[in-house]
Amino acid sequence: MIILALDALDLHMTKKFECKSLMQTEYGQTDISDFNLARTIVLWASFLTGKNMEARIPLKVQWEFKLDVEETLLKFFNPFKAIDVPSFSFKQRSHAEERRLLKDYFDNKATIEEYDAVVWRCHEENKKEFFHSIGKFDLVMGYFNLADSIGHLSFGISEKMKAVYDELENLAKEVQGSDEFILTISDHGMKAIGRYGDHTKNGFYSANRKLELKLPKITDFYNVLRP
Amino acid sequence: MDTHILDLEKKSISLIREAKAQFKKLAVLWSTGKDSTTSLWLCKKAFYGKIPFPVIHIDTGYKFPQIYEFRDKIAKEWSLNLVIAKNEKVLKEGMSPKKGRLDCCTLLKTEALKDLLRKEEFDALILSIRRDEHGIRAKERYYSPRDEEFKWNYTDQPAELWDLYIKPSEDFSHMRVHPILHWTEQEVWEYVKQENLPINPLYFAKNGKRYRSLGCMPCTVPIPSEASNIDEIVQELRTTTTPERAGRSQDKEKAYMMQKLRALGYM
Repeated sequence: MIILALDALDLHMTKKFECKSLMQTEYGQTDISDFNLARTIVLWASFLTGKNMEARIPLKVQWEFKLDVEETLLKFFNPFKAIDVPSFSFKQRSHAEERRLLKDYFDNKATIEEYDAVVWRCHEENKKEFFHSIGKFDLVMGYFNLADSIGHLSFGISEKMKAVYDELENLAKEVQGSDEFILTISDHGMKAIGRYGDHTKNGFYSANRKLELKLPKITDFYNVLRP
Repeated sequence: MDTHILDLEKKSISLIREAKAQFKKLAVLWSTGKDSTTSLWLCKKAFYGKIPFPVIHIDTGYKFPQIYEFRDKIAKEWSLNLVIAKNEKVLKEGMSPKKGRLDCCTLLKTEALKDLLRKEEFDALILSIRRDEHGIRAKERYYSPRDEEFKWNYTDQPAELWDLYIKPSEDFSHMRVHPILHWTEQEVWEYVKQENLPINPLYFAKNGKRYRSLGCMPCTVPIPSEASNIDEIVQELRTTTTPERAGRSQDKEKAYMMQKLRALGYM
Protein backbone atom coordinates (compact mmCIF):
# COMPACT_ATOMS: atom_id res chain seq x y z
CA MET A 1 0.00 0.00 0.00
CA ILE A 2 1.14 3.51 -0.77
CA ILE A 3 -0.16 6.62 0.98
CA LEU A 4 0.68 9.95 -0.57
CA ALA A 5 0.10 12.38 2.28
CA LEU A 6 -0.05 15.78 0.61
CA ASP A 7 -0.46 18.67 3.00
CA ALA A 8 -3.07 21.23 1.88
CA LEU A 9 -3.79 19.55 -1.46
CA ASP A 10 -6.99 21.27 -2.55
CA LEU A 11 -9.69 19.74 -4.74
CA HIS A 12 -10.44 22.98 -6.60
CA MET A 13 -6.78 23.51 -7.43
CA THR A 14 -6.37 19.88 -8.48
CA LYS A 15 -9.23 20.36 -10.92
CA LYS A 16 -8.05 23.80 -12.02
CA PHE A 17 -4.60 22.48 -12.97
CA GLU A 18 -6.07 19.26 -14.41
CA CYS A 19 -3.99 16.95 -12.22
CA LYS A 20 -5.40 13.69 -13.58
CA SER A 21 -3.01 11.42 -11.69
CA LEU A 22 -3.91 13.01 -8.38
CA MET A 23 -7.60 12.50 -9.14
CA GLN A 24 -7.65 8.70 -9.28
CA THR A 25 -10.55 6.25 -9.82
CA GLU A 26 -12.39 7.71 -6.84
CA TYR A 27 -11.74 11.18 -5.53
CA GLY A 28 -13.45 13.89 -3.53
CA GLN A 29 -13.36 16.12 -0.51
CA THR A 30 -12.95 15.12 3.10
CA ASP A 31 -14.83 16.79 5.90
CA ILE A 32 -12.87 18.15 8.84
CA SER A 33 -15.60 20.42 10.18
CA ASP A 34 -15.43 18.55 13.52
CA PHE A 35 -12.13 20.28 14.22
CA ASN A 36 -12.01 23.80 15.65
CA LEU A 37 -8.80 24.61 13.80
CA ALA A 38 -7.32 22.92 10.75
CA ARG A 39 -3.98 22.17 12.44
CA THR A 40 -1.61 20.01 10.43
CA ILE A 41 -0.25 17.87 13.29
CA VAL A 42 -3.71 17.30 14.77
CA LEU A 43 -5.22 16.26 11.45
CA TRP A 44 -2.47 13.80 10.56
CA ALA A 45 -2.55 12.35 14.08
CA SER A 46 -6.31 11.94 13.67
CA PHE A 47 -5.83 10.25 10.32
CA LEU A 48 -3.34 7.82 11.83
CA THR A 49 -5.38 6.97 14.93
CA GLY A 50 -8.94 7.24 13.62
CA LYS A 51 -9.76 9.58 16.53
CA ASN A 52 -10.14 13.33 16.80
CA MET A 53 -6.84 14.26 18.45
CA GLU A 54 -7.50 17.98 18.82
CA ALA A 55 -7.86 17.92 22.61
CA ARG A 56 -4.79 15.75 23.11
CA ILE A 57 -2.35 17.94 21.19
CA PRO A 58 -1.71 21.34 22.77
CA LEU A 59 -0.84 24.12 20.33
CA LYS A 60 2.40 25.07 22.05
CA VAL A 61 4.04 21.66 21.84
CA GLN A 62 2.30 20.35 18.75
CA TRP A 63 5.36 20.10 16.53
CA GLU A 64 7.14 17.85 19.05
CA PHE A 65 4.08 15.63 19.58
CA LYS A 66 4.76 11.99 18.71
CA LEU A 67 2.35 9.06 18.60
CA ASP A 68 3.25 5.54 19.65
CA VAL A 69 3.06 3.14 16.72
CA GLU A 70 0.53 1.00 18.61
CA GLU A 71 -1.96 3.87 18.51
CA THR A 72 -1.76 4.17 14.74
CA LEU A 73 -2.94 2.24 11.72
CA LEU A 74 0.73 1.71 10.86
CA LYS A 75 0.79 -1.19 13.35
CA PHE A 76 -1.22 -3.25 10.87
CA PHE A 77 1.61 -3.19 8.35
CA ASN A 78 4.89 -4.96 8.76
CA PRO A 79 7.26 -3.64 7.67
CA PHE A 80 6.15 -0.07 7.05
CA LYS A 81 7.92 3.14 6.17
CA ALA A 82 6.54 6.50 7.31
CA ILE A 83 8.49 9.37 5.77
CA ASP A 84 8.25 12.70 7.57
CA VAL A 85 4.70 11.95 8.76
CA PRO A 86 3.49 14.70 11.16
CA SER A 87 2.90 13.40 14.70
CA PHE A 88 4.88 10.25 13.96
CA SER A 89 8.14 10.62 12.02
CA PHE A 90 8.10 14.37 11.46
CA LYS A 91 11.50 15.77 10.51
CA GLN A 92 11.78 18.33 13.26
CA ARG A 93 14.91 20.13 12.07
CA SER A 94 13.81 20.68 8.47
CA HIS A 95 10.38 21.96 9.45
CA ALA A 96 11.75 24.14 12.23
CA GLU A 97 13.96 25.80 9.62
CA GLU A 98 10.93 26.40 7.38
CA ARG A 99 8.99 27.92 10.27
CA ARG A 100 11.94 30.12 11.23
CA LEU A 101 12.11 31.50 7.68
CA LEU A 102 8.35 31.95 7.65
CA LYS A 103 8.60 34.09 10.77
CA ASP A 104 11.58 35.96 9.30
CA TYR A 105 9.54 36.74 6.21
CA PHE A 106 6.80 38.32 8.32
CA ASP A 107 9.47 40.20 10.28
CA ASN A 108 10.94 41.47 6.98
CA LYS A 109 14.17 39.56 7.61
CA ALA A 110 13.89 36.93 4.86
CA THR A 111 12.54 36.91 1.34
CA ILE A 112 9.90 34.56 -0.05
CA GLU A 113 12.59 33.17 -2.37
CA GLU A 114 14.78 32.16 0.57
CA TYR A 115 11.81 30.49 2.24
CA ASP A 116 10.72 28.72 -0.96
CA ALA A 117 14.23 27.36 -1.53
CA VAL A 118 14.21 25.60 1.86
CA VAL A 119 10.71 24.20 1.26
CA TRP A 120 11.66 22.79 -2.12
CA ARG A 121 14.88 21.33 -0.70
CA CYS A 122 12.93 19.46 2.01
CA HIS A 123 10.48 18.25 -0.63
CA GLU A 124 13.27 16.86 -2.81
CA GLU A 125 14.78 15.04 0.18
CA ASN A 126 11.46 13.38 1.02
CA LYS A 127 10.85 12.50 -2.62
CA LYS A 128 14.17 10.72 -2.88
CA GLU A 129 13.48 8.72 0.27
CA PHE A 130 9.94 7.95 -0.86
CA PHE A 131 10.85 6.48 -4.23
CA HIS A 132 13.73 4.60 -2.68
CA SER A 133 11.24 2.91 -0.29
CA ILE A 134 8.51 1.89 -2.74
CA GLY A 135 8.35 -1.85 -3.27
CA LYS A 136 10.35 -2.61 -0.14
CA PHE A 137 7.61 -2.24 2.48
CA ASP A 138 4.02 -3.35 3.05
CA LEU A 139 3.10 0.28 3.52
CA VAL A 140 4.95 3.38 2.39
CA MET A 141 3.48 6.64 3.64
CA GLY A 142 5.23 9.71 2.27
CA TYR A 143 4.39 13.19 3.52
CA PHE A 144 4.94 16.21 1.28
CA ASN A 145 4.16 19.72 2.48
CA LEU A 146 4.96 21.59 -0.73
CA ALA A 147 1.39 22.78 -1.42
CA ASP A 148 0.95 23.96 2.16
CA SER A 149 4.28 25.66 2.69
CA ILE A 150 4.54 27.34 -0.70
CA GLY A 151 0.79 28.06 -0.58
CA HIS A 152 0.93 29.98 2.68
CA LEU A 153 2.96 32.75 1.09
CA SER A 154 2.01 32.35 -2.57
CA PHE A 155 -1.40 30.68 -2.95
CA GLY A 156 -2.75 33.68 -4.87
CA ILE A 157 0.03 33.47 -7.46
CA SER A 158 -1.32 31.07 -10.03
CA GLU A 159 1.91 30.45 -11.96
CA LYS A 160 3.73 29.48 -8.80
CA MET A 161 0.97 27.19 -7.56
CA LYS A 162 0.81 25.55 -10.98
CA ALA A 163 4.47 24.59 -10.61
CA VAL A 164 3.66 23.10 -7.19
CA TYR A 165 0.66 21.14 -8.47
CA ASP A 166 2.62 19.98 -11.54
CA GLU A 167 5.29 18.62 -9.22
CA LEU A 168 2.71 16.78 -7.08
CA GLU A 169 0.97 15.50 -10.20
CA ASN A 170 4.27 14.10 -11.48
CA LEU A 171 4.82 12.47 -8.11
CA ALA A 172 1.41 10.79 -8.33
CA LYS A 173 1.98 9.80 -11.95
CA GLU A 174 5.25 8.11 -11.09
CA VAL A 175 3.68 6.18 -8.20
CA GLN A 176 0.90 4.91 -10.43
CA GLY A 177 3.37 2.59 -12.14
CA SER A 178 3.02 0.42 -9.03
CA ASP A 179 0.17 -2.15 -8.83
CA GLU A 180 -0.40 -1.48 -5.12
CA PHE A 181 -3.38 0.24 -3.53
CA ILE A 182 -2.69 3.97 -3.60
CA LEU A 183 -4.39 6.51 -1.39
CA THR A 184 -3.72 10.20 -1.89
CA ILE A 185 -4.89 12.27 1.02
CA SER A 186 -4.58 15.81 2.31
CA ASP A 187 -5.28 17.17 5.76
CA HIS A 188 -7.11 20.34 4.67
CA GLY A 189 -7.67 22.56 1.67
CA MET A 190 -6.56 26.11 1.04
CA LYS A 191 -8.07 29.42 -0.02
CA ALA A 192 -6.46 32.65 -1.18
CA ILE A 193 -6.13 35.68 1.05
CA GLY A 194 -4.66 38.05 -1.49
CA ARG A 195 -1.32 36.48 -2.36
CA TYR A 196 -1.37 34.31 0.76
CA GLY A 197 -3.07 30.98 1.51
CA ASP A 198 -5.23 30.05 4.48
CA HIS A 199 -6.37 26.58 5.59
CA THR A 200 -9.93 25.54 4.74
CA LYS A 201 -11.93 22.74 6.33
CA ASN A 202 -12.12 20.58 3.24
CA GLY A 203 -9.36 18.12 2.55
CA PHE A 204 -8.88 15.91 -0.50
CA TYR A 205 -8.68 12.19 -1.03
CA SER A 206 -8.35 9.86 -4.00
CA ALA A 207 -7.86 6.14 -4.40
CA ASN A 208 -6.98 3.91 -7.35
CA ARG A 209 -9.97 1.68 -6.63
CA LYS A 210 -13.57 2.34 -5.66
CA LEU A 211 -14.08 2.92 -1.96
CA GLU A 212 -17.63 4.29 -2.27
CA LEU A 213 -16.94 7.05 0.25
CA LYS A 214 -19.14 10.11 0.47
CA LEU A 215 -17.54 13.16 2.08
CA PRO A 216 -15.55 11.00 4.51
CA LYS A 217 -14.09 12.36 7.73
CA ILE A 218 -10.32 12.20 7.99
CA THR A 219 -10.75 9.77 10.92
CA ASP A 220 -12.77 7.35 8.73
CA PHE A 221 -9.67 6.21 6.87
CA TYR A 222 -8.39 4.24 9.85
CA ASN A 223 -11.06 1.60 9.30
CA VAL A 224 -10.90 1.91 5.51
CA LEU A 225 -7.18 1.14 5.47
CA ARG A 226 -6.79 -1.45 8.24
CA PRO A 227 -6.47 -4.95 6.78
CA MET B 1 1.92 68.17 -22.25
CA ASP B 2 2.49 64.42 -22.63
CA THR B 3 -0.59 63.14 -24.51
CA HIS B 4 -0.62 59.83 -22.64
CA ILE B 5 -0.69 61.61 -19.28
CA LEU B 6 -3.32 63.97 -20.70
CA ASP B 7 -5.51 60.95 -21.56
CA LEU B 8 -5.11 59.57 -18.04
CA GLU B 9 -6.05 62.94 -16.58
CA LYS B 10 -9.10 63.29 -18.84
CA LYS B 11 -10.46 59.91 -17.81
CA SER B 12 -9.89 60.66 -14.10
CA ILE B 13 -11.57 64.07 -14.29
CA SER B 14 -14.52 62.54 -16.11
CA LEU B 15 -14.88 59.90 -13.35
CA ILE B 16 -14.75 62.54 -10.62
CA ARG B 17 -17.37 64.73 -12.33
CA GLU B 18 -19.58 61.70 -12.93
CA ALA B 19 -19.35 60.74 -9.25
CA LYS B 20 -20.25 64.26 -8.15
CA ALA B 21 -23.30 64.19 -10.43
CA GLN B 22 -24.43 60.71 -9.36
CA PHE B 23 -24.10 60.72 -5.59
CA LYS B 24 -25.82 62.85 -3.01
CA LYS B 25 -22.96 63.11 -0.56
CA LEU B 26 -19.47 62.57 -1.92
CA ALA B 27 -16.10 62.90 -0.16
CA VAL B 28 -12.50 62.25 -1.09
CA LEU B 29 -10.01 60.39 1.11
CA TRP B 30 -6.63 62.05 1.42
CA SER B 31 -3.69 60.36 3.13
CA THR B 32 -1.34 63.16 1.93
CA GLY B 33 0.61 60.58 -0.12
CA LYS B 34 1.49 61.10 -3.77
CA ASP B 35 -1.57 59.23 -5.08
CA SER B 36 -4.23 60.92 -3.00
CA THR B 37 -2.58 64.32 -3.49
CA THR B 38 -2.77 63.65 -7.23
CA SER B 39 -6.47 62.79 -6.88
CA LEU B 40 -7.05 65.94 -4.88
CA TRP B 41 -5.41 67.98 -7.63
CA LEU B 42 -7.60 66.23 -10.20
CA CYS B 43 -10.67 67.11 -8.10
CA LYS B 44 -9.52 70.73 -8.07
CA LYS B 45 -9.10 70.65 -11.83
CA ALA B 46 -12.46 68.94 -12.33
CA PHE B 47 -14.24 71.76 -10.53
CA TYR B 48 -12.10 74.68 -11.66
CA GLY B 49 -9.99 75.21 -8.56
CA LYS B 50 -12.35 74.55 -5.67
CA ILE B 51 -13.18 71.05 -4.43
CA PRO B 52 -16.95 71.07 -3.78
CA PHE B 53 -17.00 68.22 -1.25
CA PRO B 54 -15.23 67.31 2.01
CA VAL B 55 -11.69 65.94 2.10
CA ILE B 56 -11.32 63.17 4.70
CA HIS B 57 -8.04 62.47 6.41
CA ILE B 58 -7.92 59.37 8.63
CA ASP B 59 -5.70 60.23 11.55
CA THR B 60 -4.39 57.15 13.34
CA GLY B 61 -2.31 59.24 15.71
CA TYR B 62 0.79 57.33 14.60
CA LYS B 63 1.59 59.12 11.37
CA PHE B 64 4.86 60.88 10.58
CA PRO B 65 5.08 64.53 11.80
CA GLN B 66 5.83 65.49 8.16
CA ILE B 67 2.42 64.09 7.18
CA TYR B 68 0.56 66.35 9.62
CA GLU B 69 2.66 69.37 8.58
CA PHE B 70 2.02 68.69 4.91
CA ARG B 71 -1.70 68.10 5.48
CA ASP B 72 -2.25 71.35 7.36
CA LYS B 73 -0.19 73.40 4.91
CA ILE B 74 -1.98 72.11 1.80
CA ALA B 75 -5.42 72.22 3.45
CA LYS B 76 -4.87 75.93 4.06
CA GLU B 77 -3.34 76.72 0.66
CA TRP B 78 -6.01 74.81 -1.29
CA SER B 79 -8.88 75.93 0.98
CA LEU B 80 -9.97 72.37 1.64
CA ASN B 81 -13.01 71.41 3.68
CA LEU B 82 -10.88 69.03 5.75
CA VAL B 83 -12.62 66.45 7.94
CA ILE B 84 -10.50 64.38 10.31
CA ALA B 85 -11.59 60.81 11.10
CA LYS B 86 -9.98 59.68 14.34
CA ASN B 87 -10.88 56.86 16.70
CA GLU B 88 -10.14 58.80 19.90
CA LYS B 89 -11.75 56.17 22.12
CA VAL B 90 -9.39 53.31 21.28
CA LEU B 91 -6.39 55.65 21.15
CA LYS B 92 -7.17 56.69 24.74
CA GLU B 93 -7.40 53.01 25.64
CA GLY B 94 -3.84 52.62 24.38
CA MET B 95 -4.30 50.95 21.00
CA SER B 96 -1.00 50.74 19.14
CA PRO B 97 0.70 48.42 16.62
CA LYS B 98 2.28 46.64 19.60
CA LYS B 99 -1.18 45.25 20.40
CA GLY B 100 -1.41 43.62 16.98
CA ARG B 101 -1.01 45.31 13.64
CA LEU B 102 -4.22 43.98 12.18
CA ASP B 103 -6.33 45.06 15.16
CA CYS B 104 -4.56 48.41 15.24
CA CYS B 105 -5.23 49.04 11.54
CA THR B 106 -8.83 47.87 11.82
CA LEU B 107 -9.67 50.06 14.80
CA LEU B 108 -7.69 53.16 13.91
CA LYS B 109 -8.40 53.22 10.19
CA THR B 110 -11.41 51.13 9.23
CA GLU B 111 -13.52 51.79 12.33
CA ALA B 112 -12.63 55.50 12.34
CA LEU B 113 -13.86 55.77 8.76
CA LYS B 114 -16.96 53.65 9.44
CA ASP B 115 -17.92 55.97 12.31
CA LEU B 116 -17.50 59.04 10.14
CA LEU B 117 -19.49 57.51 7.30
CA ARG B 118 -22.35 56.64 9.64
CA LYS B 119 -22.28 60.11 11.19
CA GLU B 120 -21.99 62.13 7.98
CA GLU B 121 -23.98 59.73 5.77
CA PHE B 122 -21.60 59.86 2.83
CA ASP B 123 -22.88 57.68 0.00
CA ALA B 124 -19.69 57.72 -2.05
CA LEU B 125 -15.96 58.04 -1.40
CA ILE B 126 -13.18 58.83 -3.82
CA LEU B 127 -10.13 56.66 -3.13
CA SER B 128 -6.74 56.81 -4.80
CA ILE B 129 -5.91 53.17 -5.31
CA ARG B 130 -4.17 51.99 -8.46
CA ARG B 131 -4.33 48.59 -10.15
CA ASP B 132 -0.56 48.21 -10.32
CA GLU B 133 -0.16 48.80 -6.60
CA HIS B 134 -1.14 45.38 -5.28
CA GLY B 135 -2.52 42.05 -6.57
CA ILE B 136 -5.91 42.45 -4.92
CA ARG B 137 -6.26 46.02 -6.22
CA ALA B 138 -5.76 44.76 -9.76
CA LYS B 139 -9.24 43.22 -9.43
CA GLU B 140 -10.89 46.54 -8.60
CA ARG B 141 -13.32 48.47 -10.77
CA TYR B 142 -13.69 52.26 -11.07
CA TYR B 143 -16.96 51.99 -9.16
CA SER B 144 -16.88 49.51 -6.30
CA PRO B 145 -19.93 49.08 -4.02
CA ARG B 146 -19.33 48.28 -0.33
CA ASP B 147 -21.62 46.99 2.38
CA GLU B 148 -21.79 48.33 5.93
CA GLU B 149 -18.80 46.23 6.94
CA PHE B 150 -16.85 47.68 3.99
CA LYS B 151 -16.94 44.25 2.37
CA TRP B 152 -16.46 43.98 -1.35
CA ASN B 153 -17.51 41.02 -3.47
CA TYR B 154 -14.87 41.01 -6.18
CA THR B 155 -16.31 37.88 -7.77
CA ASP B 156 -19.53 39.72 -8.55
CA GLN B 157 -18.62 42.90 -10.36
CA PRO B 158 -20.00 44.16 -13.65
CA ALA B 159 -17.67 44.83 -16.55
CA GLU B 160 -17.21 48.57 -17.02
CA LEU B 161 -17.55 48.73 -20.76
CA TRP B 162 -18.12 51.95 -22.70
CA ASP B 163 -17.65 53.98 -19.50
CA LEU B 164 -20.81 52.52 -17.97
CA TYR B 165 -20.58 52.05 -14.23
CA ILE B 166 -22.76 50.46 -11.56
CA LYS B 167 -25.50 52.82 -10.39
CA PRO B 168 -26.20 53.98 -6.84
CA SER B 169 -28.49 51.51 -5.09
CA GLU B 170 -29.94 50.73 -1.68
CA ASP B 171 -28.30 47.32 -1.90
CA PHE B 172 -25.02 48.72 -0.65
CA SER B 173 -23.91 51.15 2.00
CA HIS B 174 -21.61 53.34 -0.08
CA MET B 175 -19.77 53.41 -3.37
CA ARG B 176 -16.03 53.67 -3.75
CA VAL B 177 -14.90 55.60 -6.77
CA HIS B 178 -11.34 55.06 -8.00
CA PRO B 179 -10.40 57.83 -10.43
CA ILE B 180 -6.71 56.92 -10.74
CA LEU B 181 -7.18 53.15 -10.88
CA HIS B 182 -5.67 53.04 -14.38
CA TRP B 183 -2.51 55.00 -13.50
CA THR B 184 0.85 53.41 -12.69
CA GLU B 185 3.20 54.56 -9.96
CA GLN B 186 5.56 55.96 -12.58
CA GLU B 187 2.78 57.90 -14.30
CA VAL B 188 1.75 59.43 -10.98
CA TRP B 189 5.29 60.70 -10.49
CA GLU B 190 5.45 62.01 -14.05
CA TYR B 191 2.19 63.84 -13.43
CA VAL B 192 3.44 65.24 -10.12
CA LYS B 193 6.40 66.68 -11.99
CA GLN B 194 4.37 67.96 -14.91
CA GLU B 195 1.83 69.71 -12.66
CA ASN B 196 4.46 70.78 -10.14
CA LEU B 197 2.40 69.30 -7.32
CA PRO B 198 3.51 69.71 -3.71
CA ILE B 199 4.88 66.45 -2.36
CA ASN B 200 5.79 65.14 1.06
CA PRO B 201 9.60 65.32 1.53
CA LEU B 202 9.62 61.79 2.99
CA TYR B 203 9.49 60.46 -0.58
CA PHE B 204 12.97 61.81 -1.36
CA ALA B 205 16.13 59.94 -0.40
CA LYS B 206 18.12 60.98 2.62
CA ASN B 207 21.22 59.05 3.70
CA GLY B 208 20.55 56.33 1.12
CA LYS B 209 16.92 55.71 2.07
CA ARG B 210 13.49 57.01 1.12
CA TYR B 211 9.84 56.16 1.72
CA ARG B 212 8.12 54.81 -1.35
CA SER B 213 4.72 54.50 0.28
CA LEU B 214 3.60 56.44 3.34
CA GLY B 215 1.74 54.92 6.28
CA CYS B 216 1.99 54.98 10.05
CA MET B 217 5.42 55.58 11.55
CA PRO B 218 5.79 52.28 13.49
CA CYS B 219 4.69 50.18 10.51
CA THR B 220 6.46 51.82 7.57
CA VAL B 221 10.10 51.36 6.72
CA PRO B 222 12.15 53.24 4.12
CA ILE B 223 13.60 51.45 1.12
CA PRO B 224 17.27 51.71 0.09
CA SER B 225 17.38 54.46 -2.55
CA GLU B 226 19.47 57.36 -3.80
CA ALA B 227 16.52 59.02 -5.59
CA SER B 228 16.43 62.52 -4.15
CA ASN B 229 14.22 64.17 -6.77
CA ILE B 230 11.30 63.23 -9.04
CA ASP B 231 13.46 62.51 -12.10
CA GLU B 232 15.57 60.11 -10.08
CA ILE B 233 12.46 58.44 -8.66
CA VAL B 234 11.06 57.88 -12.17
CA GLN B 235 14.42 56.48 -13.23
CA GLU B 236 14.46 54.18 -10.20
CA LEU B 237 10.94 52.92 -10.97
CA ARG B 238 11.96 51.97 -14.50
CA THR B 239 14.38 49.35 -13.20
CA THR B 240 13.19 48.33 -9.73
CA THR B 241 11.85 44.86 -9.00
CA THR B 242 10.77 45.76 -5.45
CA PRO B 243 6.99 46.01 -4.91
CA GLU B 244 5.70 49.48 -4.16
CA ARG B 245 4.32 48.54 -0.76
CA ALA B 246 7.41 46.56 0.31
CA GLY B 247 8.01 49.00 3.14
CA ARG B 248 4.44 48.78 4.46
CA SER B 249 4.33 46.06 7.08
CA GLN B 250 0.68 46.88 7.77
CA ASP B 251 -0.37 45.19 4.54
CA LYS B 252 -3.71 43.85 5.73
CA GLU B 253 -3.49 40.45 4.10
CA LYS B 254 0.01 39.96 5.42
CA ALA B 255 -1.08 40.94 8.91
CA TYR B 256 -4.13 38.68 8.68
CA MET B 257 -2.00 35.79 7.47
CA MET B 258 0.53 36.31 10.23
CA GLN B 259 -2.29 36.20 12.77
CA LYS B 260 -3.74 33.04 11.23
CA LEU B 261 -0.38 31.28 11.09
CA ARG B 262 0.21 32.15 14.72
CA ALA B 263 -3.18 30.66 15.62
CA LEU B 264 -2.22 27.49 13.76
CA GLY B 265 1.05 27.35 15.66
CA TYR B 266 3.41 28.03 12.75
CA MET B 267 5.02 30.98 14.52
